[in-house]
Amino acid sequence: MPLKWVLHWQPNAGTTVNTQILNEVSQCVESINGVKEGRWKATLTSYKPMVREQSLTAEFPRDFLGISLPEQPDKYYFMIRGQRLVVEADSTIQTIMDKLQSYKSRVALCFEGFQYQLGDFQLRVGKVVPSHSENLRGIVMEVEYLPISSMEKARQIIEEFVDIWQEAISKRSLPGHFMHIEPNFAEYGLLDHYTPQHTAVQYATVVAQMIATQTVQAARN
Amino acid sequence: MECVVQGIIETQHVEALEILLQGLCGVHREDFRIHELCLKSGPNLENNKSSKKKSRLVASEVRLLFDLYQAEPTWTVKHVGGAMRGAGADQISVLVRTMVESKASKNVLRLFYALGYKLDHELLRVGFAFHFQRGARITVAVSSVNKMLKLHATDGDEAVPVTPGIQLVEVTAPATSENYSEVVAAVSSFCEYLAPLLHLSKPGVSTGVVPTAAAAAASLMSDGGGTTL
Repeated sequence: MPLKWVLHWQPNAGTTVNTQILNEVSQCVESINGVKEGRWKATLTSYKPMVREQSLTAEFPRDFLGISLPEQPDKYYFMIRGQRLVVEADSTIQTIMDKLQSYKSRVALCFEGFQYQLGDFQLRVGKVVPSHSENLRGIVMEVEYLPISSMEKARQIIEEFVDIWQEAISKRSLPGHFMHIEPNFAEYGLLDHYTPQHTAVQYATVVAQMIATQTVQAARN
Repeated sequence: MECVVQGIIETQHVEALEILLQGLCGVHREDFRIHELCLKSGPNLENNKSSKKKSRLVASEVRLLFDLYQAEPTWTVKHVGGAMRGAGADQISVLVRTMVESKASKNVLRLFYALGYKLDHELLRVGFAFHFQRGARITVAVSSVNKMLKLHATDGDEAVPVTPGIQLVEVTAPATSENYSEVVAAVSSFCEYLAPLLHLSKPGVSTGVVPTAAAAAASLMSDGGGTTL
């Protein structure tokens, strides 16, 4: 499958993300001739163990995540970041987890927005909100390069595209910037050939970074 | 959901059963060699049943299946739930139960271990299956169930039959809460064709081998299954 980078909005110190920034980002995509195609949605759920006593929680992973992606609606991805583990399963695995009743959802985040086509690139810009809430927690952007599946072969061209994008967005003088963190995919046993599991790992990394930033900001305030 | 019945047959009559099934189904058999790992949640993980009723701690159970014969081996996660209960369920000869399956990548065993699940036991099922449409999408699986002498040792010499000389026959069909009565009828009616060779009943209700098996097998083997039983 085509490879992609998942970027997230990193607000400047002392500022927070807001819908005005999201609107400006969307306008910016259109200003560089991105053609709006339709809506997309991904979800990330954090699970917690159902333990006999709260003191036993430490025995179980704290970072157990489930991820659904728009390009693979019949699949579901589980991750334990601390153990560098990502598993692909059919979406029916969610019913199995429900029936096992050993883990339950702690919090769920939705990534949703519009998809744009721009030559060989496909862009997705979306807000990050808790499910059943409109409380904006962040902004994400997917940059997908359609012709190539090798991460290394596409690196230069996708870097150049992201540079152009960063320049375009910087002209709007918004209080922050888009950031790309490339996880060490090899640690997860993932190879150079891009798969949806790479995307799942990127989303988990983005969310961890967002939580870390918001925790630091909350501490400052 | 699925509908299921089980029975047993002596290994010496399996060939006759295969001839009969081939004639009834009109499809070719598919061989399988499935490594089945049964995992249970550890003592500190609980499910709702136990939290509602503290005195009854129930471990949750999940099965991971790995078909060693597939060209591209895949893992299947399988959860078998409780059987349908009530007067209606008692009156039918087929067990109706919840069953959910999901294919998964090969590291799914590592995931369940990481989540606090432990290996309870493992089995190697070796046999063949027929998949066909006959009022419902029916699968008949005939297999010898083996236990492993060493952990994960699925090679021929390391696996020994749990019941030597006896094979398990399982008839299953997927169903929904809307159509299960038709599926039950389809499975029941199919089972009647097998009656001379083996008796099929709800899992856990063992009825043993049938006395007519030897004669029925001899008849099938002598004329290639051409005679209507």
